[in-house]
Amino acid sequence: MRPRLDALLRTTTFRLALVQAGVVLAFVVAMLVYVYFATVGQLIRDSNVLADQEYATLERAYAEGGMRRLNQEVVERAARQGPFLYVLAESNGTVVTGDFQELPTAPAETTPERVDFSFEREDESGAQVRGRASGRVGRLINGPILLVARDLGDSAVIAGRITQVLWTVAIVGLVVSVVSGLLAATQAARRAEALSNTAREVMSGDLTRRAPVRGVGDEFDELAVAMNAMLDRLERLMHTTRTAGDAIAHDLRSPLTRFRQKLENALEAPPDSEADREALRKAVDEADRLLGMFAAVLKLARVETASNWKLHRVDASEILRELAEFYEPAAEEQGLKLRAEVQDGLVVRGEHGLFTQAVSNLIENALKYTPTGGNVEVRALRRPDGRIEIDVLDDGPGVPPAERDRVLERFVRLETARSTPGVGLGLSLVAAVARLHQGGLHLRDGLPNGEKTGLGAALVLPAAAA
Amino acid sequence: MRVLLVEDDLDMAESLKASLAADSHDVDHAGDGELGENMALNGGYDVIVLDRMLPKKQGVAIVRDLRGKGVSTPVLILSALHDEDHRIEGLNAGANDYLGKPFSTRELLARVRSLWHGRDLGPATRLQVGDLEMDLLARTVKRDGKKLDLQPREFRLLEYLMRHAGQTVTRKMLLENVWDYHFDPQTNVIDVHISRLRSKIDRDFAQTLLHTVRGSGYRLEG
Repeated sequence: MRPRLDALLRTTTFRLALVQAGVVLAFVVAMLVYVYFATVGQLIRDSNVLADQEYATLERAYAEGGMRRLNQEVVERAARQGPFLYVLAESNGTVVTGDFQELPTAPAETTPERVDFSFEREDESGAQVRGRASGRVGRLINGPILLVARDLGDSAVIAGRITQVLWTVAIVGLVVSVVSGLLAATQAARRAEALSNTAREVMSGDLTRRAPVRGVGDEFDELAVAMNAMLDRLERLMHTTRTAGDAIAHDLRSPLTRFRQKLENALEAPPDSEADREALRKAVDEADRLLGMFAAVLKLARVETASNWKLHRVDASEILRELAEFYEPAAEEQGLKLRAEVQDGLVVRGEHGLFTQAVSNLIENALKYTPTGGNVEVRALRRPDGRIEIDVLDDGPGVPPAERDRVLERFVRLETARSTPGVGLGLSLVAAVARLHQGGLHLRDGLPNGEKTGLGAALVLPAAAA
Repeated sequence: MRVLLVEDDLDMAESLKASLAADSHDVDHAGDGELGENMALNGGYDVIVLDRMLPKKQGVAIVRDLRGKGVSTPVLILSALHDEDHRIEGLNAGANDYLGKPFSTRELLARVRSLWHGRDLGPATRLQVGDLEMDLLARTVKRDGKKLDLQPREFRLLEYLMRHAGQTVTRKMLLENVWDYHFDPQTNVIDVHISRLRSKIDRDFAQTLLHTVRGSGYRLEG
């Protein structure tokens, strides 16, 4: 799609090109003026000094010997091969003697004045060339007109050439800068057009569109890369929202359906207070499950979107030891060993409630998926980079490396986890809490488990300033 | 017990009123904040149950003003906002307990009772339930004269149960008051802690003190 001309004329690059052309023009004109005065101007000044001396000599001859003497001098001097040109004319302008048949310029009234004129002359080979001369013309006492000038000769021709070349350069430079400006503007307009086309296509619903990157690393590439990164994130968010929507629909529909069925069955069946009460109890359980899911979704949304969480110094060591102590009896009941290996004095900058809940989610997750006889370990240490790392490791079935990123997404539960209770928001919440704290949640290998390995979750958070 | 319920959602209010009445309380209801505050000032209630978001005057402001006017009636705030910040704001304003919506009726009833009973308990140094004795200064527990060996956390758990002897204590109440946790563990962690405690205080004795209240929680009773 070719950008329209007026759109082109409006582009920043084109305007810059115009400004640039103006600057080039001004510079060339200044150069011309300078070169002209430095060459032609100097030539004329030098020859004028000589012409003035010659004029003065002839004026003296006139004063001493009158018209006859002057005429003789002019005839003699004009006959010599030299740079000087002479014309002696009567007061009415009729030429008496000299190099020209007519006065090249109108006669002066009283005081001598500068003349600068072009004339035809023969060069050495006899060809007619255009010469240029500069000198002085004036009326002498009693009226005769005397002109003395110097042929500027070849230097005038060279100076003229230089001037001409400079003019040519100026015009070519002007054209080149306008054309290159136009080209650059077209190029820029095309690339901007490509970017806005991508944006329009994305807006019209095709989230997979990406801006073209030419790989030259210029500003447009930078812009395109940033735009593509934004689109990637947007697409991921849209995808998550869509899958989250599907998952909510799916995960909420089942308990809602059961809820409805239990109530309906109780209504349909003949009244039986014991059975009715049981049905009501189960309905309440289902309602609790639903409310729990809503609460989890809302909490996650608040952690991800709200910006008003206040972060304080949180004693991670103490919280971790207490959590381990809190869960230890439940672990033992399940036939699991829960151990804690926590360094002293680990203080993170965080939100107390969210931090506690995040770690408890990791521990519960480990307890939930580790079969009887297994081990769960909570470790916490200060890393060499100063950040604080909290690891919850188990020797359960683990998560294949390829699936690890995915289980952090909302509502994602691996097929193997479908049978266990849960919403699929536990790890998403931990990841969101980590992001809120400018930290991260990483899933890795956990404790060795025969040939396989369990899951290790590493929550890395910034330490509180001392 | 005379309970004032300040709640603008009429369906919710009706249902809570019925539940509180069934738990043998006299319940008055106010539908907005201003009316609620006036009734609280003049009604001589034992417990006030206050919604946080109310027309005309917000729950937190009401508690603050009641406390400012010297009214010390225990207040329970109900709220859909139950992040730590909100809870702390409510408690700092002078509320005695803070319960997030949605909640179960049993949870509410247990907390209303606990507020009323907890009111008169001064700083005791000894607690006694049946033949179970706790010395808070020496941090020792004896049953029938025999010393029981408790972990620090078990001691705090038992202390809370003894302070609320005869009342139903919910898992959530234990979680909040003994561990200061404000999230719902997915697993039966509290039950396991209770059963450990039970094995220490009840196993070797004929009379059971620590009872499970089905669907609600636990009750320690001599």
